[in-house]
Amino acid sequence: MCLWGVVRDRVTVVDQYLPVLGLLLLGIVFGAGSLIASKLLAPHQQATAAKVAPYECGIVPENDPPARFPVRFYLVAMIFIIFDIEIVFLFPFAVVFRQLGNFGIVEILVFSGVVFLSLAYLRSVGGLTWGPIKQLVKGMPARTSESTIARISADSSPERAA
Amino acid sequence: MSAMSLLAAGDPLYQHGVTWIVFLIVAVKVLLGFGICLISVTLMIWFERKVISDMQARIGPNRAGPWGLAQTLADGIKLFFKEDLIPERSDRIVFKLAPFLSLVPALVIFAVIPVGGTITIAGYTTQLQVADPPIGILLAIAMSAIGVYGVMLAGWSSGSKYPLMSSVRASAQMISYEAALGMSVLTVVLISGSLSTRTMVDVQGGGPWHWNVIRLGVIPFVIFLIAGIAETNRPPFDVVEADSELVGGFHTEYSSIRFALFYLAEFLNTVTMSAIVVTLFFGGPSGYILPIPGGTIIFPVLWFLLKTVAFCYLFVWLRGALPRSRYDKLMDLGWRRLIPLSLGWMLLVAGFLVSVAWGIGMGIVIVVGGLVLSRAWELGSEREFTDSAVLPPVASRLIPPRLVRDQTDRGEGEDQ
Repeated sequence: MCLWGVVRDRVTVVDQYLPVLGLLLLGIVFGAGSLIASKLLAPHQQATAAKVAPYECGIVPENDPPARFPVRFYLVAMIFIIFDIEIVFLFPFAVVFRQLGNFGIVEILVFSGVVFLSLAYLRSVGGLTWGPIKQLVKGMPARTSESTIARISADSSPERAA
Repeated sequence: MSAMSLLAAGDPLYQHGVTWIVFLIVAVKVLLGFGICLISVTLMIWFERKVISDMQARIGPNRAGPWGLAQTLADGIKLFFKEDLIPERSDRIVFKLAPFLSLVPALVIFAVIPVGGTITIAGYTTQLQVADPPIGILLAIAMSAIGVYGVMLAGWSSGSKYPLMSSVRASAQMISYEAALGMSVLTVVLISGSLSTRTMVDVQGGGPWHWNVIRLGVIPFVIFLIAGIAETNRPPFDVVEADSELVGGFHTEYSSIRFALFYLAEFLNTVTMSAIVVTLFFGGPSGYILPIPGGTIIFPVLWFLLKTVAFCYLFVWLRGALPRSRYDKLMDLGWRRLIPLSLGWMLLVAGFLVSVAWGIGMGIVIVVGGLVLSRAWELGSEREFTDSAVLPPVASRLIPPRLVRDQTDRGEGEDQ
């Protein structure tokens, strides 16, 4: 029946994964092979200090790469895990929801509702904000053509020039 | 469900056990799939350069081979002869591992894509698809998630400023859009009742009005397309490789063939992403079959190619037409628009598939949810930059008075 992995009624269809494994191995072999080919063909010389230094468009790097990052990135990763776990649970539901009927849909509604509320809460406390631009804009009056004309005329007025 | 029916849902090749001919067919399929991947990448790079140059009124590559077709090959061969540098500050093992983590998942995704109907060789019927595992689309999503590691580790292990920033950006961007991507795939799973890509394609077999893009409403397709572009780091969402900010992105420090592997993976991802869009929403290889001998084998493949090339062209077109999105706008689009929208649409589809009453009920739930969310947005934008904010603004340094004056036309010493 199968290549292997048949245990009576519980079938693990391993043979369907055989080509996937083959493609995976072929990918690794291809990558390794091209690295070996490059090793054989590429020039062998001691790389100069400038070549192995971090590339910053010709500017000599002075600072180390930053060790600290805005906390937002960590936060996004954590929120992502919540949503990803939701999706992980939704996939089995999506396959069998026809058999589950009303029970399944109520369950999924409750479950999605909880995750959705967490998103709404996060948003309401300002947890999903990026970028500084709005602060800059908020504190400033709008720049109109009148205000620009007024400023320029004020700049070029005789008492200011003197 | 018996073992037989479970297997019959998959590739009929394995129905009568595995003999050496079956092994041979599998080996040929794997090799062919691998070859198709490499050739399609070569052509895709040429296609992209040619189309972009047409859009910018240039000629593009036209020296190597007819119409410059061999340009990619020439570039690849050149890269073999280039010095392979490993930066001194790098983490050497991870630095060497990262290209593989990028390339191999990109290849594996191709395995689950149905490229045609079925053919019969030596009495064995098999599908024109490298593999049809029962969890097909999950495998594709999982592999695209592993691709994130390739990008992230490449930037981290380089020991250089800009690749590190790029990799942090990349991982945040890719995981953000993965949620929306998964949710739009869920709608397809709901309607086809299976995770196998072959079943998804079969369900859409009855002509264009059976395609998921129409049956699910256009929304999941649009979400998937946007999220797919963000997942593959293609313009307009290529903030990962924003050359004006981050030199060359995560692969700045990579040279020679290691760089080529990243390049290969990137374009392979573009091709497979268009193929997955076609599989999920446009019926894959299904289409009109002319009544000629061998038509049932040739035409599905042709239809699949035609649809995939159309989406490849769309990806290139977007690159030619749209400016790069700003990073904060990109993240906002993902978290504030796509994730709630895809969640709501998924519930709506599930509701209508169970019964019309549930569908209408879900519609009401979604409207209520939308109201809650819009109130949350209001509250959020009020709290965003005040003292009660959870997070301080990214750039909270004082704005120089001169800049304020230039931007606001406010006189010196004047109050607001």
